[in-house]
This record gives sequence, structure tokens and C-alpha cells, in this order.
Amino acid sequence: MTRILFSSSLKMLTRDRQALFWALIFPLIFLGVFRLFSGDAAGATRLIVSVDATSERGRTLVDALSQVGFLEVDVRPGLDEDSARALVIDDEGDAALVVDPAAPNAPANAVLLVGVRDPIGRQITSAAIASVVDRVNLSLTKVPLPISMTTRPVQEKTTSFFQFVAPGILGMGLMTFATISLAGSLSRYREEGVLRRIRATPLAPWRFFSSVLAAHLVITGVQIVFLTFIAQMLGADLFSGGIWAPLIALLGTVSFLNIGVIIAGRVRGRGAVEGAANAVTLPMMFLSGSFFPVASLPPVMQAVVKVLPLTHMLNALRGVTIEGESISEQWPALLVLLAWAVGSFAVARVAFRFQDD
Amino acid sequence: MTERSASQVIEARGLVKRYGAITALSGVSAQVQRGEIFGILGPNGAGKTTLVEILEGLTSPTEGTARVLGIEVTEDPVAVKSRIGVQLQASSYHQYLTLREILDLFGSFYPKHVPAMDLLERVHLADRAGARIKTLSGGMKQRFSIVAALVNEPELVFFDEPTAGLDPDARLDLWDIVRDVREAGATVVITTHYMEEAQALCDRVAFMNAGQIVGLDTPAGLIRSLHAPYRVAVTSVTPLPEAAVRALPGAEEIELSLSADGHVVRLRAQDAPAVTAALTTLAAREGARLVDLAVQPASLEDVFLNVTGRKLSG
Repeated sequence: MTRILFSSSLKMLTRDRQALFWALIFPLIFLGVFRLFSGDAAGATRLIVSVDATSERGRTLVDALSQVGFLEVDVRPGLDEDSARALVIDDEGDAALVVDPAAPNAPANAVLLVGVRDPIGRQITSAAIASVVDRVNLSLTKVPLPISMTTRPVQEKTTSFFQFVAPGILGMGLMTFATISLAGSLSRYREEGVLRRIRATPLAPWRFFSSVLAAHLVITGVQIVFLTFIAQMLGADLFSGGIWAPLIALLGTVSFLNIGVIIAGRVRGRGAVEGAANAVTLPMMFLSGSFFPVASLPPVMQAVVKVLPLTHMLNALRGVTIEGESISEQWPALLVLLAWAVGSFAVARVAFRFQDD
Repeated sequence: MTERSASQVIEARGLVKRYGAITALSGVSAQVQRGEIFGILGPNGAGKTTLVEILEGLTSPTEGTARVLGIEVTEDPVAVKSRIGVQLQASSYHQYLTLREILDLFGSFYPKHVPAMDLLERVHLADRAGARIKTLSGGMKQRFSIVAALVNEPELVFFDEPTAGLDPDARLDLWDIVRDVREAGATVVITTHYMEEAQALCDRVAFMNAGQIVGLDTPAGLIRSLHAPYRVAVTSVTPLPEAAVRALPGAEEIELSLSADGHVVRLRAQDAPAVTAALTTLAAREGARLVDLAVQPASLEDVFLNVTGRKLSG
């Protein structure tokens, strides 16, 4: 009996195209889109430099610029500002630095033309070239540097935006599927009369319920494996958490499933249920740091955010993956998740009734 | 006691169901015998569904007791549920499962069950075994929901308005299936608001109105209980004298009118042959040529009108 009951519940899910979309395709689209927008997807910035490369000034400048990792330097002596602009417009380069020919020791004027379209890229390019020019100026005037600065990363590992956002998308995908799809299928079972029909059989309600939950957990497992592998292929760092990352994800999903049960139990009508499930998950998705750090939210919001289960699920996930921390360092987040799982289960048990009256 | 419980499949005593201030059932008692088709008739809101849900173990009564198959329903609803079959009004099955999968699933809830394909063959749906509910016609859906109530070879089956919204052919089809179920040895309880369905199918009928049973007998017995069960109508070219018509012995509710066919006399009678004989004699004496004579037995509709003072349908 249990086997047929479970396989039926699973078939109900896997044959529901909409449920599968929310489970797998929706987060997959997010992974793809964020991978495209992520900074590390962009190639080098091509910089055209017009300077007399035989002079000491010219050589020093070109050497210094070539040391900047993301610049691809293309030396083309003898350009004036207009012809350099024409080259950038024709996409021969992303930026051009035109240094006026001047006598070796006379000060020379330079113009930087920046054709980079995205605003952050434009700022980075301008700042990097300006600082190179400053450094070359200082070294050529032979003045000792009053402040000499060295840059070191705070963490050993450098984290790209995509690496930050990948655990967020995993959490978002698990949450939206668990809450929206479970609330939706339970209300459908009720609306189509399946719950009533099942009550007319000797089947114990908890058995039916467990089979629906078990089927959802199976899909959750498929989601975790599928999304983790895709994210890893796209350059995220989800494998580094070992077995802990999927376990944290599973623990968090328990609360989201319970929330789905509560919504289906308290809201009547399938449309209203799906609306309510969206109203709960959408703000949580944005507030809990799926796509940007929670620290960037105003302080008033942060108080709310610190209560949400998704926040703690993502903190723990990012802790064991991109921050390379151990699982024992995640205990505060795990404790909150456990409290949420137990508490929401207790509420769900009371909130959802098989009977309508 | 044992003899009685062997022949009595359902024994309801003083069933009352209140939902807050609303009383859905106010003291219903009835017995259903093994092997009969028992009809429950009444308008919407009469309490049919509430009564049936109490007997099925889906709702518990506020007062009163119900024994089904010798078991007190409130004490062991699971034991009752495993021996009865239930067909619900809406076709309430999983939309993403095939017919065969649904029957396998429901069969798995019972200790013993009939193979899915055998069931589908019984209602001529074997060729649709791999189809889903929503691809079926209305009649097919009802046939399926009936056969889904038979997965556990129940001793007692409840059909809740099985022919609601079906065309006449599909309805006749379903009547045959319901009769087959009884032939196979099960007792059938059927709710309906179609009078002709109750008359054609049921061995006994309970009329319900406003939460009570207002009449319970065989369809013929219920009709016989009417004071003047026959409707008689005669149409003549020239009018019959009104005074003589009103003086006819055994005629009641006499109405005279004029129609395109001629002068019409309508009346109701206990003894239809005697009244029609008197009418034809009167016409011959008056030289009025009769163009039509119709005698109609009363129907359950008339019984219902009589016991409740209101019409059931229309």
C-alpha cells in the first residue's frame, strides 16, 4: 500500500509541468541570467594607447599599464583625440589613452576616452588607468613616495558575485517549490474532492499526508543535486561544503514545506492559496539575501530579516561553501533552522484539517 | 438480535446533526435491508448528504446512533469504511493519474480488492485504462466514479446523485450498472432528486425534507397512500354540464377549461375505472362527442407534493 501511495504522489508531481517548472527550470533560468550578468563573465578591457613608445615616459607608461590584469594594451603611436575616438566607436578598443607628443622633460597632456558601456566597468577602468598614470608620474619625477600601499585580500579565497549568488538561487528554488507547490497540490486535492474521497476509505489521513510530503522531499533532493551540479559547472563553489551543503538545504526546506501546509490549511480556494504562497515567498526571496547581501538593507529591515528561515539557511550555506567555514561554526543558523522546522511543524499540524466543516 | 442484524444493513436511530445554529438533520430513523436498492429523495438542502455522510463515517452525528453492517459507525469508522463503497457527487479523483492507476491506488487502501482491469471492463472503460479523468465524457466519469466505489467488493454501496446532469441514454446506462451491483449481492443506497429514477430503480424510497424523513415505503406503496392517486382528463367537442360533472362520485379537484382541442375536464380519483365509466356514460347521455380520454397514475412527484406541500424539481 505504502509503495503505491508514494508512487502515486510522486507521479502527481512529476506529471505536473507547472510544478516541475518551479522546481527546476525557474532556478535554472536565474542561474543562467546571473552567470551572464556576473562581472567575471566579461573579458579584458582593450585599451588603445597613443604615446611615443621610444621615450622613457612612453615606455614606463606602457609597462605600467600592461601590468594591470584586465587591460589588453594596444600601442598605436601618433593618434590624435578625434581619430582615437573614431577607433573606440568602431569597437577597435574599449578605451583609448591619448598622450600628446611633447619634449622629453616638458609636461604632456593626456586624454582618456572610455567607451565601456556598463557603469561599473567604466568606473573601474577609469580609476585603474588614473592610478597607473599617477604612479608613472611619481616614478618619473623621482620623488620618494610618502605613503606606499600594498593591497591584500581579507580572505584567502576571492569570491565572485556569481559564487555569492549561487547558494541564494539554490535556496530560492527550494523555497518556492516547497511552499508554492505543496500548498498548491494540497489545495487542489481538497478542491477536487480527493481529500473527501480518501476520507471515505479506511486509509489513515497521516499516511496520505506522509506520502505527499515524501514525494515533495524526493523532488527537493533532485533539485539540490541538479542545481548544485549546474551551478558548479557555471563556476560556483557549492561542492566545497561537502555533504553539509545539501543537508543544510534539506533542513531549511522542512520549514518551507510546513509553511506550504499552513497556507493550504488556512486559505480557501486554489487561486487564493497560490497567491498567498507567492506573497510569503517573494518578499522572503529578496529580503533574505538570495541576490544581494543582507547588510545592504536598512537597519529596520534587518531586524525582520534576522527572523526569516531563508536568511539562516543561506548564511549557513555560504558559510560552509564560499567562506570555507566548518559546520560547527554554523550552529547559530542551524539552531534557528531547527527551531523553525519544529515550530512550523507544530503550527502546520493544527492549521491543516482534512475535514471542511 | 443476530438475525435482525443479518438482514438489516443500516439501522439509524434518532440522528440529529447541527452545525452551529443550523440544524441539518432533526431526528432521522430508518432501516435498510440487505440486498435492496434504497433511495433517498429530497430537494437540495433536505439533509440527504448529511445523512449519508454520517452513515459513511465521514461526519459524526450530534445525537443519535447509526449501525452499519452491525458496527456502530462512531465507534469504529475504519471497520465500516473498509466494507462499504462510496461514490461522491463530484468526480473527485487525481487529475494526473490514469484510470487504472487510480483504481490500483484506491484498491491498495483495502485489505482485499478487485483487479483494476476487471472493474474497468464492468463499466466498459477497459479501452480507456490509460486515460485521465478530464478526457472522459460526463457519462464515462460517472461510470468510473461508480466503479471506483466497488474496488473493495463492498457489501453496501452509497451512490450520491450518480446520474446528475447526464443525458437520458447515459442515465439508462447507469441504471443498468446500479442494478448489476445489486445483482452481484451488494445493498445499494442511492440519493437522487430525479423522481423517475427512484421509481425505476428503488425497492424502497425515503422522502426527506428539512432534515426529516417525511415518507418511507415502496414507490407503489407511497403512491397508493395518496388519497386520489389517478389523474383523469377528458376532452369533448361540446361542453359537459358542469353541475353533473361536479356531482360525479369519487371525483376530486375538478377543473373545467377550454383548449384548442375542445372542452377539457380534469379531475383526480381514487377509483379511476369507476370515474372514467361514469364520465363516458355522462357524455353519451348528453350527446357530447369525446375526442380524448387520458388516465394517468400518480407519480412520486405527486407524493412529494402531498407530503411536503412543495415541488421537488422545476
